[in-house]
Amino acid sequence: MLPLKPKVLHVLLALADGPRHGYGIMQEVAARTDGHVRVWPAAMYGTLRELEDLDLIAESETRPGDDDERRRYFALTPLGTRVLSAEVRRLKAIVDHARASRALRKARRA
Amino acid sequence: MKPPSSRAIRAYGRLLWLLRGRDLEEQRAIKDDAELLLDAARARGRGALAATWVALMLDLVIVGAGHDFARAFRSLVRAPGFTLTVSVLLALGVAATTTLFALVNAVLLKPLPYDNPERLVMVWESNVPQKRLREGPAPGNVDDWVAHNDAFEALTAWWTAPATLRGRDGSAPVTGVQVTKGFFEVFRRAPLLGRTFADREYLGRPSIASGRTGGLEPVLVLSHRLWQSLGADPALIGGTVYVEGRNWRVLGVMPADFAVPDVGAAFWTPWDMREAYRGARFPDGPPRDFRFLRVVGRVKPGLSREGATARMEFLAARLAADHPRTNSDWSVQLVPLREELVRSSRTELLLVFGAVSSLLLLVCANVASLAIARSAARAREMAIRLALGAGRTRIIREHLAETALCAVLTALVAIVFTTGSLGTAIAFAPADIPRLHEVDVNARVVSFAMAVALLVAIIGVLLPGLRGSATAIASALRDGAPVSGQSASRVRHALVVAEIGVTVVLLVGAGLLARSFAGLRRVEAGFDVRNLLVLRFAPDVTRYRGAQLVSDYYGRVLNAISELPGVASVAAVTVLPMSTIGSDFYRPYWLESARPDGNTVPQANVRMATPGYFTTLGLPLVSGREFSAQDALDAPRVIMINESLARSAWKGQEPVGRTLILDYQGGPTPRQVVGVVRDARYHGPRSNPEPEIFIPHAQNPYLVMNVVVRTTIDPGALAQTARAQASKVDPDQPVHSVTTMERLLDDSMQQDRFAMLFVALFAAAGLVTAATGVYALLAYTVAQRRREIAVRMALGASSYAVARLIVMESLMLALVGSVVGALGVAAVSRLVRSVLFGIEPQDPLTLGITVAVLLTVVLAASWLPARRAARINPVSAMRI
Repeated sequence: MLPLKPKVLHVLLALADGPRHGYGIMQEVAARTDGHVRVWPAAMYGTLRELEDLDLIAESETRPGDDDERRRYFALTPLGTRVLSAEVRRLKAIVDHARASRALRKARRA
Repeated sequence: MKPPSSRAIRAYGRLLWLLRGRDLEEQRAIKDDAELLLDAARARGRGALAATWVALMLDLVIVGAGHDFARAFRSLVRAPGFTLTVSVLLALGVAATTTLFALVNAVLLKPLPYDNPERLVMVWESNVPQKRLREGPAPGNVDDWVAHNDAFEALTAWWTAPATLRGRDGSAPVTGVQVTKGFFEVFRRAPLLGRTFADREYLGRPSIASGRTGGLEPVLVLSHRLWQSLGADPALIGGTVYVEGRNWRVLGVMPADFAVPDVGAAFWTPWDMREAYRGARFPDGPPRDFRFLRVVGRVKPGLSREGATARMEFLAARLAADHPRTNSDWSVQLVPLREELVRSSRTELLLVFGAVSSLLLLVCANVASLAIARSAARAREMAIRLALGAGRTRIIREHLAETALCAVLTALVAIVFTTGSLGTAIAFAPADIPRLHEVDVNARVVSFAMAVALLVAIIGVLLPGLRGSATAIASALRDGAPVSGQSASRVRHALVVAEIGVTVVLLVGAGLLARSFAGLRRVEAGFDVRNLLVLRFAPDVTRYRGAQLVSDYYGRVLNAISELPGVASVAAVTVLPMSTIGSDFYRPYWLESARPDGNTVPQANVRMATPGYFTTLGLPLVSGREFSAQDALDAPRVIMINESLARSAWKGQEPVGRTLILDYQGGPTPRQVVGVVRDARYHGPRSNPEPEIFIPHAQNPYLVMNVVVRTTIDPGALAQTARAQASKVDPDQPVHSVTTMERLLDDSMQQDRFAMLFVALFAAAGLVTAATGVYALLAYTVAQRRREIAVRMALGASSYAVARLIVMESLMLALVGSVVGALGVAAVSRLVRSVLFGIEPQDPLTLGITVAVLLTVVLAASWLPARRAARINPVSAMRI
């Protein structure tokens, strides 16, 4: 399943802290990236459906009591959590590798 | 109060439904979230709101289109046979069209590589009463035009001369261009390196052919090609090259696409016509009756071509009044340079382009027919989807996506094919199509391929698909009913009829061209063209100055070649029949010493020939004798004439022994006719014999000659030894070219051959395509009418009757198609007539053969379906 598409990674990360509804995911992604990455509804619901089909997320039963009951909440499944952390480890390894490279070190110092 | 965007949100929701139309709950979630996003954006101001709207719309469209494309892709992959056939068929058609477009683009459409090229015109002298409409202007007239015209910003003239370039690796023949002042200003091209000539550098320079040494240093500008072959060294600028026995200073190098007059130009050098025509031989300065220059002018800005023509005609009329002897009846003709360059190739290219477009149409029709069959087969699927609530728009959008995919696939494959086939096409095209070296696959060609691919995809895939989606649900769902409607089958019949029609046009075109070509080959050259070797010489003018030296040189060359085994005889002449190379002089002659008025003086082509020329060529002597060694420089002046001249000058009386006055070098001189020869067609089979006068080479030694060798063995086998033998006489003088007379004859018919082969090829391809179309349609019909046929057979129809049913259908198709084709032939006959020789476009034999061929092929195509129909087993066909 790895590497994840950037959009997918962002959606999964937005769900890492707990279940969210669709609009919450969009806001979370924008907030985490200072608005550099935005997901838009038509594409996002398509992604959510794909992730559901892959069993990476599932519709969540837990929801704040005061919320509109029409809203669907999504949460990571155990498989989703594992895939996300595997992807993060993979990305970290790449970042470590890049940091170790001499050229980049020099560039940072300069 | 509702927020002002509620209507917009509703529209968004509707669009969403249209594009995704799947999951109502998901749709509502998307719409709600979009609304929340818009609310949040509205709080941040108008700009943010607008940006959010744009992002939302993009989001929708991208997701929606991706969905469609994915579906279209799946549907194409599900039917790989259909997809492959359609793409390959379409791609081949598009590639052929694109290849031809690349050629047509470079030759006809691409602007010339000069600044404001539409203002460049070629200027010719024309004499309507004498039917000489395109003569290269005479130096004296050009001199006056340059001085007095008010039509051109700049006006220049040139002529080309063969020259010998000597380098470290020996000698090489090249073509030099002598240009008058203003040459580079007319074309407005800057050199790639160095500089062109300053005005003063045009004055007093010796010409290539003058042979004068001393005086001003000769200068030249190199062509890119010659510069490359000399090592492409920038240090060559300012250095010298050794041409025609002396050093020439190199001032600059022109860019690679500067090809004036053609790609063969090796260098340009200044020509001072007043310097060239002075002294006792030219008391009046540059002559007005030697018409051989090429003249190009840059029309003044704001002046139309008609305006420029009017001004030049006025000037020409003045010159005619001032110089009646040489100029009466002579006017001018201005032809745009671009038109001039493509004049000869235009019809052929358009013809070929027409053939290719026809093939493209055929392919389109076939693909459309396939697609109709496919959509008929899918009609039930469509009907089910429609019944289950799929929107018609959805289905149409899928067809759009399918069409776009097909178009992109087609364009890609076609561009790959085109890149591959261009080289072949150029290799097969006649070498004298101008600007062929500029052909490439550029942005324009690629866009053309895209456009054609899209067009054929729309015709071949979209339109039939849309028809299919219009099926009535109820009728399509009825169990066991034939799934294709009557109208689909009608359209397919119409398509096949159109295919046959186009094929008829192609076949008739190919037939006409083939018969015309055969006619050309039959035209007698006037002599035996086999076993003739032709060598061209242009010895160094500085070394061979003076009559005696030139005569001696050729005497030794002819002697050396005649000693070779396999040589029957050998002679030299200035211009050979069928050969475009060599200098032709059109000069006035008359019978009595009293010279007639300027405008009634008859003229004849003057040629210099050595003894034995007519024997070698095999041109029969009608009366008198040939030249002999006795007709030397100090002997009485003699000439030979051809039958055409004998007829027009003496009207049936015996010319041998009579005297004729020829106004050629050295002024009017009486010369005695010693012999009359049979006419020959000098300019290819299409030309008519013209009056000719031959002068013994010894009495007027000309430097540039064609040596012709009659061989007893294959002339090609003798080419190398003859060349080597000739250079033994003077190793510094290379033989400029070696070829055979048959090759020259073939070359003169190259365009005819090209057009014929090309159209024949496309006619064959068209025939195959049409046959496939007929076959596919009939096979489909048989499959559709299986049950009906079974019923007929059960009721007693014989296999023969059933087969006849199918065959009659194919014959009807062929008949109606032929009528359509005949109409098409009538429509294109004007274009075709101009390239035909000795045959009319309505040639009944060609039409008859075409129809016969077509009927045979259509019958053959209907054989399999008819047999299948005849073998239908009524029992098994009616069981289901």
